[in-house]
Amino acid sequence: MSEHHKENFITKYVFSQDHKMIAKQFLITGMFMAVVGMLMSAIFRVQLANPGESSILYNLLPGAWLNDAGVLNPDKYLALVTMHGTILVFWVLTAGLSGTFANFLIPLQIGARDMASGFLNMLSYWFFFIATVVLMSSLFVESGPASGGWTIYPPLSALPQAIAGSGTGMTLWLISITLFVVGSLLGGLNYIVTILNLRTIGMTMQRLPLTVWALLITAILGVLSFPVLLSCGLLLIFDRSFGTSFYLSDIIINGEVLHNEGGSPILFEHLFWFLGHPEVYIILLPALGIVSEVIAVNSRKPIFGYKAMVGALLLIAFLSFIVWGHHMFMTGMNPFLGSVFTFTTLLIAIPSAVKVFNYLATLWRGNIRFTPAMLFAIGTVSAFITGGLTGIILGDSALDINVHDTYFVVGHFHIVMGLSAIYGMFAGVYHWFPKMYGRMMNKNLGYIHFWGTFICAYGVFFPMHFLGLAGLPRRYYSNSAFPMFDGLSDINALITFFALAGAVVQVIFLFNFFYSIFKGTKATQNPWKSNTLEWTTPIERIHGNWPGELPVVTRWAYDYSKPGADEDFILQTEPLKEGEVEH
Amino acid sequence: MTNILIFIIAILVIATLVQIVRVSELLSEIKNKDVNEVTDKDNNTQGILFLIVGFGFLIFVVWQMITWNHLLLPPASSVHGTQIDFLMKMSMGLILIVFFVLSPILFYFVYKYRGKKSNKAYFFSHNNKLEVVWTVIPTIILTGLIIFGLKTWDNAMNVEITESTKVIEVYGKQFNWTARYSGIDNTLGKANYKLVKGKNTLGVDMLDVNSADDKMAREVHLVVNEPVLLKFRSQDVIHSAFLPHFRVQMNCVPGMTTQFGFTPTKTTAQMKESEGADFEYVLLCNKICGASHFNMQMKFIVETQEEYDIWIASQDNLEKKLLTQK
Amino acid sequence: MDIALRNIVKKQLLWISLAAISMFFASMLSAFIVEKADVGNWKEFILPNYFVLSTGVIILSSLVLFFIKPQLKKEKSIFGLVFTVLILGILFSYFQIKGWQQLTNQGIYLTGVGSNISGSFLYILTLTHLLHLVGGIVGLCISTIKSKQNLYSINNYLGLELTVIYWHFLTVLWVILFAFLKFY
Repeated sequence: MSEHHKENFITKYVFSQDHKMIAKQFLITGMFMAVVGMLMSAIFRVQLANPGESSILYNLLPGAWLNDAGVLNPDKYLALVTMHGTILVFWVLTAGLSGTFANFLIPLQIGARDMASGFLNMLSYWFFFIATVVLMSSLFVESGPASGGWTIYPPLSALPQAIAGSGTGMTLWLISITLFVVGSLLGGLNYIVTILNLRTIGMTMQRLPLTVWALLITAILGVLSFPVLLSCGLLLIFDRSFGTSFYLSDIIINGEVLHNEGGSPILFEHLFWFLGHPEVYIILLPALGIVSEVIAVNSRKPIFGYKAMVGALLLIAFLSFIVWGHHMFMTGMNPFLGSVFTFTTLLIAIPSAVKVFNYLATLWRGNIRFTPAMLFAIGTVSAFITGGLTGIILGDSALDINVHDTYFVVGHFHIVMGLSAIYGMFAGVYHWFPKMYGRMMNKNLGYIHFWGTFICAYGVFFPMHFLGLAGLPRRYYSNSAFPMFDGLSDINALITFFALAGAVVQVIFLFNFFYSIFKGTKATQNPWKSNTLEWTTPIERIHGNWPGELPVVTRWAYDYSKPGADEDFILQTEPLKEGEVEH
Repeated sequence: MTNILIFIIAILVIATLVQIVRVSELLSEIKNKDVNEVTDKDNNTQGILFLIVGFGFLIFVVWQMITWNHLLLPPASSVHGTQIDFLMKMSMGLILIVFFVLSPILFYFVYKYRGKKSNKAYFFSHNNKLEVVWTVIPTIILTGLIIFGLKTWDNAMNVEITESTKVIEVYGKQFNWTARYSGIDNTLGKANYKLVKGKNTLGVDMLDVNSADDKMAREVHLVVNEPVLLKFRSQDVIHSAFLPHFRVQMNCVPGMTTQFGFTPTKTTAQMKESEGADFEYVLLCNKICGASHFNMQMKFIVETQEEYDIWIASQDNLEKKLLTQK
Repeated sequence: MDIALRNIVKKQLLWISLAAISMFFASMLSAFIVEKADVGNWKEFILPNYFVLSTGVIILSSLVLFFIKPQLKKEKSIFGLVFTVLILGILFSYFQIKGWQQLTNQGIYLTGVGSNISGSFLYILTLTHLLHLVGGIVGLCISTIKSKQNLYSINNYLGLELTVIYWHFLTVLWVILFAFLKFY
């Protein structure tokens, strides 16, 4: 499978079937989209800090999005928040995070030559790529891109008369997400089958690194929940373009009485959130898996409570399927149903807490080495504590009455996803960069990147809790229509300041990343002195990963600072010494 | 403008830092040292930074709590709202305690165990007793919170509807709200979107006997301490009726009628005394509904029975408004 | 990867895809159940007979598939069997389309004025099933051609095996959908 076929430029870099190249394709595309999504947020933050004013940043937008005075149009503000959410949730944190690390790490960490089907894997990237092109094209249509929020509730998303972006832009959004989901499913299939079948000799499930466990469980979550988004979207496509009434009923829009009867927008919400909630765990679990690995390696200690960590991942995954109603507390659902969802939602806090405690116990009495990856891993834990706790408020239906759809929610989900998960992604990039590109990223630039990001990000999102408790709704173009929000403009200005500063700090990362690919110091084979199998491959990556035989595994992944060992790490391939007991 | 200047300065600062780093890289190369090796000195710096920035963050949080406390919503102006506020205080108290315990532990551990080449980590891979302890304790605490929360939720949602509960319809559309009082019979006349025509903007079925005494209005007056049941409809897309001061929120969904019952406990006049003469109760839209989502509002006024009687008498009923006027 | 492992892997890939497809249909069925419970909005109608016929045809086609393995073991040609299933599959599709025609004759439409969510669901469920079936027919065409050329043997018939598994899945799925539409 590996050594013999000759590669030309197209088969090596474009239509590659090598999991390492595909991983990098996902990473680069994800990074590109992250920049786009981040610029969008910079623009709408400027609008929020200076409502009714023009800004030099608006020059990045198509002219039609601004009025004559150069001020952003309200419906295009909604287009920006919609696309920002869509891009960051799906393109960056799902494809960019899972797509990169599942593809890169799974075969390497289990001791396989490649994924089960290189062909399906290649298809999964190209479906993703085309989905990206379709989504980006929606930015340039006359009526603008989808503008109904990334959650695209009908009737708003079904009716172009309700908002311009629900015309062609929304159609392109739906086509794009369909392609995206197909690509994700193709990837997920591969990840599951590869992990179950292609582990090398000695790599039992109990010896798998936590990263692989997390990626396996994430893939299963995806396979079971993404198809529901497809059915949800299919019914919406029919309502929009073929006159059915799945989600529509009793509507007069722009003076026109619509024929639709019998449909229910709440049905859409159920179907959407049945994916929507597992989706946030599809985002979070890989990040937590990465963090487990990075913290263990850099504390020079085993991850504390390996079995409990796996159990927590499984419990979170299972519970994630039965909490979706907490996004719908205010839809007029039967109050009993609301109570059920409150119960299940607060339950999910338990395995999450267990993970945090295990991370803290791993750090305790460690010998911590602060690589940039480690800084971000610690940042993930801090953000997970901060953001996870506010979830307890939101998951309680009675409390949700006054914070639903306010900035309190925006603060919560940004801290858990925009901080916790993204930091996990950064940790992964810094940690595995040497394996991906054979060179080291600059350490000091990494330090500056982390501290700048950590400070600015908390500066952006923590104040939002106060805006929410002051009653400020989300997705508001401006707060100036309500005198009750006049006192909040200083907070808004502060948030925008940190947002712009944080955006600028990311330039350091981008510079470091691309510069290091070409000019970084050459890496050694195992720069972090890690136990896992990927560090036993040669620095110049080869097709098939290991020249010659596949490694044989004799122990679990976390023998760091094991008493009686010569060094503070023991490779998984190292045979047990005379008298040594396997952990 | 200031934002842009700050933006530019930030870029310049970062560009300078980058150059400094590159110079240090070259210098290390000359000295034959690995610039990317994490040294004991690095660990020391980063560990200390975590302590400083970490605790700085916690201080920042406290600063926010103190400085912005006065901007938060005033205590609830409804019966169930007071219960929600109490639950919120308890829950917030709980999560703040956990936050102010766990975060310092994290920052302190990371500082205390900052690495030195001469140190060795302690091989401690698991402890089942600990796992049980820190699973059971959160479970107990959360169960308590859940039970408490469910009681509050039940009180808010399953409001007892009596004869004296005033029924008022709130009708949302792009981009305004209209209220409809149910009149003396306290029953709203049936309505259907197909009947929307001309002045009959809510599609009220005038053939229904209950419709004649209904009254439409562009602001809502409520009597203090009298229960009210708001019934919500939408004409076009999903809107959400958000009355933050009363702790009331309910989606308005086309094709459905939703409802929320509550009892206001403070008059607008009372609120003006404590919150300032500009205070008004307001209904906002809280579900993205189109371009003017940010400006969809209706005034709510809570007053005494006498004031209310005067106001309601001055409003035309639908029989007069829709049937007899040309 | 050796042949035995490759076979296991390809089959697992298929099984997991079937899990995903099942979730797609399960979610639509849940939507169907929830919407039907709202009695006021649901227009009842009689399920056209053509759907009963098509159910019989697809069950028959799955039964025929069971004879393939014994035939291969005896080293006999399976072209006849595979071709029969292909024909039955096409017949199934024909009956489905006739069923839709019968529905429109009854005044049950997918869309437009006069359509109702009950009819819409029926069309969407049967349409998406049929689209997945087209994939199965493509597989059967390839298998028919390969079996004519005697390319399959008891030790080497992975492509056919995958098509067979997929086809059985389509049958089971259809029986479940039909049972819902007829009896729920």
